[in-house]
Amino acid sequence: MGKKVVLTGNYSASEAAALCRPDLIAAYPITPQSSVVEYLAGMVHNGKIDANLVQVESEHSACSVVQGAVAAGGRVFTATSAQGLALMYEPYFRMSTLRFPMVMALATREMTSPETVWSGQQDAMSVREAGWIQVYCDGNQEIVDMVIQGYKIAENEKVLLPVNVCYDGFYSSHLTEGVDLPLQEEVDRFLPAVHFNHCVLDPEKPFALDPLTPGPLMMKYRKSHLDAMEAALTVIEEVDKEFGDQFGRYYGGAISEYRTEDADVVILTIGGMTGTGMDAVDLAREQGIKAGLVKIRFARPFPAKRIAKALAGKKAFAVIDRSVSFGWSTGPMYMETRAALTDVDDKFAHFSAIGGLGGADISLDRMLGTIKKLDTVKNEPGQKETQWYMTD
Amino acid sequence: MSYIDVLREAKDVVTPGMSACQGCGGELILRTVLQVSGKNTIVGIPPGCMAGAGVVGWNYANGLEIPVHIPLLDNTASFLTGVSQMYERKGRTDVNIVAVAGDGATADCGFQSLSAAAERNEKMLYVCYDNEGYMNTGYQRSSTTSRGSRTSTTPIGSVINGKQQHQKYLPLIMSMHGLEYCATASPSHMADLVAKVQKGLAASKKGFAYLHVFSPCPTGWAYKSEKAIEVARKAVASNVFPLWEMDENGYKLTENKNPISVAEFVQGIGKFKNLTPEVIESIQKVADARYETLRKLSAK
Ligand SMILES: Cc1ncc(C[n+]2csc(CCOP(=O)(O)OP(=O)(O)O)c2C)c(N)n1
Ligand code: SF4
Ligand SMILES: [Mg+2]
Repeated sequence: MGKKVVLTGNYSASEAAALCRPDLIAAYPITPQSSVVEYLAGMVHNGKIDANLVQVESEHSACSVVQGAVAAGGRVFTATSAQGLALMYEPYFRMSTLRFPMVMALATREMTSPETVWSGQQDAMSVREAGWIQVYCDGNQEIVDMVIQGYKIAENEKVLLPVNVCYDGFYSSHLTEGVDLPLQEEVDRFLPAVHFNHCVLDPEKPFALDPLTPGPLMMKYRKSHLDAMEAALTVIEEVDKEFGDQFGRYYGGAISEYRTEDADVVILTIGGMTGTGMDAVDLAREQGIKAGLVKIRFARPFPAKRIAKALAGKKAFAVIDRSVSFGWSTGPMYMETRAALTDVDDKFAHFSAIGGLGGADISLDRMLGTIKKLDTVKNEPGQKETQWYMTD
Repeated sequence: MSYIDVLREAKDVVTPGMSACQGCGGELILRTVLQVSGKNTIVGIPPGCMAGAGVVGWNYANGLEIPVHIPLLDNTASFLTGVSQMYERKGRTDVNIVAVAGDGATADCGFQSLSAAAERNEKMLYVCYDNEGYMNTGYQRSSTTSRGSRTSTTPIGSVINGKQQHQKYLPLIMSMHGLEYCATASPSHMADLVAKVQKGLAASKKGFAYLHVFSPCPTGWAYKSEKAIEVARKAVASNVFPLWEMDENGYKLTENKNPISVAEFVQGIGKFKNLTPEVIESIQKVADARYETLRKLSAK
């Protein structure tokens, strides 16, 4: 049993990262992530953890420094948000395509413009095609547990990919909750010392890391990267079970379901809105609507088969996104959910709901409204108009 | 040991064959730096001509016999920071961590990460081969390109004639970073270059060492390839590229009592073909002023 502590989401990420015994941490402050790196700096400066802390001048360098440390065989950690993620895009893309395992916390935030510092998932959603694994947390306990599981997934030899542990800026990053923090020896038992060596620069085994690569070989690399993503779907489930067996907390793997068994209508959520969504489902049930919820935990790899299975036989679904997909007039997870159902999606009534941009609230009322709308249209298959959670 | 013996005894770690142009100053610098630093080295060479030569290599062989990575154009010093700190953690401080980067990767795109790594005094030797432009992408201007130079992005036009600005003098800027060692060198002065690489490597065990090397480029500058060393020698002789170093004892300028004129230096170099007397005069002024600044800094 771990110890009961009260932590913000950011501190949860920091504490969990520290428990994973990183060799090197490099991060640059940005709202709402800043306190992750401040907290870790305190731990290093007070001798609580034995990690190198590099006080970089930018996120581009944060990502580059940790990349160098992985290239020398280290376990590393960084964290960022929005503009920081955008600035690090170049080494960020390269982290996954070099197949470098690591964990990065992402306190998700809207992308400027309009100028903003508040919550939204546009930052994480816009790097879905950068080759990283992405998990979206709902609550601080899940942040702790997914940072720890993140390394286990990332370093699995069938995977060897970096993992983004995403959680809603402010809503999670600054929210204080009671957390069961695992003990060091428990984490040590779960997470063995770092052991990958497919990419380690060493004069004793000289090789050129990433020389110019011709197309045919590059295609092999890309395919193997996609295969690793596919393999990750299984590894995610295995790690969830192994973690649950040891710590008593199971998350369901790539998705989790709430009251879906006999549901007619289902809302799909991602990240911190999920708790409110479950309350909305309960309220709808009290009003006689057979509602259920699917929480999309991993957006990459996208758990298409599990989502299709969870929705099989249902009448209607809505996906609630905290970001937009420019060009589709919907949210991104809605389009991906439909893609997961390609051959059957004309059998459902369905629509996209978009809310919570730039820190706006996704209220219980709004989510209940979505469920009620689903109930009204459930017998009229096809796409309905996108629902915007506007105030007027 | 004389520098000739040092180079004779040191193994060349560049693999046979070479994709650099004939007479390339950068190649000579890459080869020499790595010969001195030896097999126990990890090197980062960002995109540029020497990445082509040193990482990509030739004829399906990698460019070097030592571990090498082509980092991004703008993150060499940051990437090597991670490598360097991990090697220190592993207790393997004997391994030399070296960057060989062009002026574009150093003075422009990569300057932010370079400046930060130098300020943090990260343990590495960072060598910039300055060929005054983005040669690998087709001889475009950089911030170290001299005034009046013809490049692909500062062509000789009927209205605007070559680069309009003087070069940014990066080595002196680097010397203000609180780093361990900072020096300029030229392949025309091999004894000096080898000694500075040795000092830089020794300094890299304590902190950041920066070496800015003049790198004549026959292809981009348009002169005959056999003239490379002569061009480099004249750059030093004219005070266009003065030799100096800075360590814990302060600045030390290699004095040049009888400099040749800038007009003599630019003779026969195609990229300077269209210099007007006024532009030559202004380059002369900058060279004189820079030399004077360095002389004052070096005064005991
Ligand atoms: C971010 C980024 N922008 C542009 C490029 C394209 N690029 C590759 S090499 C290069 C110029 C390098 O110049 P320099 O560092 O002086 O090396 P040289 O080619 O002169 O040896 C450029 C602009 C790149 N690789 N990355
Ligand atoms: S273009 Fe210039 S710097 Fe590049 S390889 Fe040729 S001579 Fe060397
Ligand atoms: Mg150059």
